Amino acid sequence: MQSQLAQISQAAENAIAESQDSQTLENIRVQYLGKKGQLTDLLKGLSQLPAKERPQAGQAVNAVKQALQQKITEQQLKLSEQALQKQLVEEAIDVSLPARACHRGAVHPVTRTRQRIESFFSRMGFSIASGPEIDDDYHNFQALNIPEHHPARAAQDTFYFADGNVLRTQTSNVQIRVMENQAPPVRIIAPGRVFRCDSDVTHTPMFHQVEGLWVDKGIKFSHLKGVLAAFLNDFFESQVKTRFRPSYFPFTEPSAEVDVECVKCSGKGCRICSQTGWLEILGCGMVHPNVLRNVNIDPEIYTGFAFGMGIERLTMLRYEVDDLRLFFENDVRFLSQF
Amino acid sequence: MKLSEHWLREWVNPDINCQALCHQLTMAGLEVDSCHPVAGEFSGVIIGKIIEAEQHPNADKLRVCQIEVGDGLPLQIICGAPNARQGILVCVAQIGAVLPGDFKIKKAKLRGVESQGMLCSEAELGLAEEADGIMELPQDAPIGQDIRQYLQLDDQAIEIDLTANRGDCFSLRGVSREVGVINRLPVNTPEIKPLNNAHDQHMPVEIKASDGCPKYGCRIIKNINMQAQTPLWMQQRLWRSGIRAISPVVDVTNYVMLSLGQPMHAFDVANISDKIIVRYSKPNETLTLLDGQEVKCLPKTLMIADQEGPIALAGIMGGQSTAVTDQTQDILLESAFFTPLAIMGKPRQYGLHTDASVRFERGVDPQITEQALDYAAQLLADIAGGQVGPIHVESDQRTLPKSYQITLRFERLTAYLGVEIDHADVIDILNRLGLSTKQIGVGVEVQVPSYRFDLTQEADLIEEVARIYGYDNIARELPATTMQPEQYCETTLCASRLRQLYRDRGYLEAMTYSFIDPKWHQALFGDQAAKALLNPIASDMSIMRTSLLPGLLKVAQHNLSHQQRQLRLFETGTCFLYQDDKITERQKMALLLTGLRDSSVLHGADNKVDFFDLKADFLALADLYGFQHDDIEINTDDLPNYLHPGRSGRIMTKSQIIGEIGQLHPTTAKALDIRQPIWLLEIDLAFMGDMVLPKAAPISKYPQVKRDLALEVDQTVSAQQIKDVIKEYAGSDLQTVEIFDVYQGEHLADDQKSIAFTLIFQGLSYTLEEAAVQQAIDSVLNALSQKLGAKLRA
Repeated sequence: MQSQLAQISQAAENAIAESQDSQTLENIRVQYLGKKGQLTDLLKGLSQLPAKERPQAGQAVNAVKQALQQKITEQQLKLSEQALQKQLVEEAIDVSLPARACHRGAVHPVTRTRQRIESFFSRMGFSIASGPEIDDDYHNFQALNIPEHHPARAAQDTFYFADGNVLRTQTSNVQIRVMENQAPPVRIIAPGRVFRCDSDVTHTPMFHQVEGLWVDKGIKFSHLKGVLAAFLNDFFESQVKTRFRPSYFPFTEPSAEVDVECVKCSGKGCRICSQTGWLEILGCGMVHPNVLRNVNIDPEIYTGFAFGMGIERLTMLRYEVDDLRLFFENDVRFLSQF
Repeated sequence: MKLSEHWLREWVNPDINCQALCHQLTMAGLEVDSCHPVAGEFSGVIIGKIIEAEQHPNADKLRVCQIEVGDGLPLQIICGAPNARQGILVCVAQIGAVLPGDFKIKKAKLRGVESQGMLCSEAELGLAEEADGIMELPQDAPIGQDIRQYLQLDDQAIEIDLTANRGDCFSLRGVSREVGVINRLPVNTPEIKPLNNAHDQHMPVEIKASDGCPKYGCRIIKNINMQAQTPLWMQQRLWRSGIRAISPVVDVTNYVMLSLGQPMHAFDVANISDKIIVRYSKPNETLTLLDGQEVKCLPKTLMIADQEGPIALAGIMGGQSTAVTDQTQDILLESAFFTPLAIMGKPRQYGLHTDASVRFERGVDPQITEQALDYAAQLLADIAGGQVGPIHVESDQRTLPKSYQITLRFERLTAYLGVEIDHADVIDILNRLGLSTKQIGVGVEVQVPSYRFDLTQEADLIEEVARIYGYDNIARELPATTMQPEQYCETTLCASRLRQLYRDRGYLEAMTYSFIDPKWHQALFGDQAAKALLNPIASDMSIMRTSLLPGLLKVAQHNLSHQQRQLRLFETGTCFLYQDDKITERQKMALLLTGLRDSSVLHGADNKVDFFDLKADFLALADLYGFQHDDIEINTDDLPNYLHPGRSGRIMTKSQIIGEIGQLHPTTAKALDIRQPIWLLEIDLAFMGDMVLPKAAPISKYPQVKRDLALEVDQTVSAQQIKDVIKEYAGSDLQTVEIFDVYQGEHLADDQKSIAFTLIFQGLSYTLEEAAVQQAIDSVLNALSQKLGAKLRA
């Protein structure tokens, strides 16, 4: 009995150790521990032993049984671990391969700048207004205090249609249209496309402007300076040095041009600022009383300021774009950088 | 306006350097565009006299010159210039001199003869663009003096970019007035002494257009010496002001114009028939100008004419027939006031922007007419002699500009600028600008001088005070304001959100011109009307786009030709629909998709983008608006010609067409030289309407029942048609119906296809009975069979 038990135990242990898959292991379990297994048979044979030997023999068989069960469980764990390892190795991929259908999208840099400008003025309580891109001579010129043949018209080479309408040369037409329909206070910006019959290295026949207008009681030139300085600090995300210099626009009086210290050379003079140390950024001024009168706003009661800036210019400075024409060529190698 | 710093300092001389002066001008609104030395950088060049010039023994074209340079022995210098001759005074670069470009002069031997320096031309000294020979100096030039000192070459040419309102600064007189105001300095004016008349003849003047010419002054100068030379100092000043010296008469008129701002013209008296007539152009009139160009006179052009016809375009350019020539004996000097309104726009129409026209357009001082005639006569007499006749002026008081009187209120000034300026300072600023003032209760009454055309109302005076006071001296402050929050509308889809969507879906935003090539428009839209520009910049940018697609296709073409073949582009913007002679501006959005879905074939072999990629990109937008996908129909009827008839559709919502989607028609693609399939989408954003405000619907707690139906139908029946029938007949418990398979081929007749649908039923407040579901299915099958001939696949 003893030797038989030892023999079975040894054979079973060897079989377990040699088993390479869970099915074989299961078969081994059935063969030794199953209902008709060899150890089960041995247990059954205990009844033939003398009564006083039975407990000891039973204990011995059970001990072997437990030991084998333990071995089987261990082997099971070992096999499933091996199987997992194998699976993991087999499933390995080259993670450096490209992603599936992954495309880099971008909004146009001019849009990007426009949205930043809109964001600043929205935070300042300005509404965003829009108007027609084809407009009549009145809204594009006359209402803005630019009579026919005014030399200021020469600076804005205009695209005309046969019916006398024009492609707007500035977004200022929106000023007029808003004030025609809304009593002060008026606090708007009008971003959009404008058109001038001019094309060379530094001019495209179409570009983008943001026009701003604030008309209310008590609006002063000092407010214009404050608001625009705040804008420029926000736009360049630093305390930029600015200067306001007298200029002339028919629709503002006093008028000013705003320069910022060259962001490239910090005022030392470079190619970007034509060695002047300053960059011309925007035009502005107090709304001309004639303009207010044209829209039936009493300039004695209300005053206002207006400003206009070219979005492309600001975009070029912000993102170091050195050729204006890139904006409308739409080469994807350019567009995808934004 | 370009001027010499030296010359300006003769008028007014502030104790600041040139850089500071330029800064002052810029900050006063006279923007200095550039400031450059008037001559090249050189040293060691002195005045010498050729006392002997002999032929070089070994070279035909060279001469051996002996040059007297003051102290010491004459220098021997070899010179190849044709005008090198005995007796003339020249510029001598001595040994050790350094010429522009760091060119050092050394002792040299030319063809065996020693040369102790070099004789210089204007070009070699950076005084002219080009030169024919060496520079000749006046006989009274002091021999031995440094040429830089003699010609005052340590001078800067200052170029001022004048704004359209400052006609008064188109002269030394005007600019020096500004400098004087800023620096609180008096301004020196040149001494102008009326000459005694040497004869009493005058030219009769008839003004027939006094609205355009309120004042015409002239005088005759007889027996001018046309062989006289313009003095070097005057030539130099003209050159530094950007004007080429031509002849004494022309040079003097230009010099007076630069000095005083009054453009002048000189006629040959012999060629004027009887009298000067100032009138508007007549129909079909032509005039040959000074430069030989013949112009057709446009209507309402102010002309100077004589009895026979036009002799000059008033205020723009003189005519050839009366031009002053070498043979001229007597000249008529013209000094007139033409109104800005009469000249404005004309130079542009004629393409003739002259020094005169630019001044008249902006306004010339009507009170300087006589002074200019005196100054010109005085200068000319010194140079070319002649006998001066009386000044003759015709004028019309009714049309002369009226003198403005404007009240400036101190309170208004403060309220406008946001700074309190001392009243005495305000008055001082105005007075220094030449405005006379009278203090009244609320402020000052200001009399505007005749040269300030730009000052007509109080705001103009406020600007004058502000710019002289200094914009930089005005504080920056943010207004205290009443809050007025603008209503934010949750259901309005802003353009930036739309852009964000396509940006995130891997599209690049393009921005194309609003005017396009008519050929591209025609290739896509045939005869559809588009508004044409009257003055396009180029023929391929001459009509207003009615669609974003031509622009996007052009972008595609550009990129494809640069080996960029995977394109995902979008654009939003204004399109200009043109119908019945009326323009409607519509906001559209377009997508262009082409190339591979994936940059490599790693993730599947069939990699080309197709209709369904684009459809998904459209539905993403529809989702944003809150459309149910089933509310969107893609209708294949009546497609536009530019789309592939079998792979395209019109996008409809509730019978409203909102756009088109599909493949560019192969024929159109070929016409546009595009060789790969292009997928296009364009929608009119207005038709998308507002976004849907969500309203929460209850969620069922009861189990779903799922049924699959594989249906066999005719090839021509669309999935959408079947789906519509299912939805109509399946009853209210039908939650969703999805297509999960489409099959054609084996086991099916050639004209048949099989489409499999999954229907999901669910009761909201009860568990669905099997029988109820079966009933719904039966009803669906029955309807499908009757309406579409569909049968359940065996």
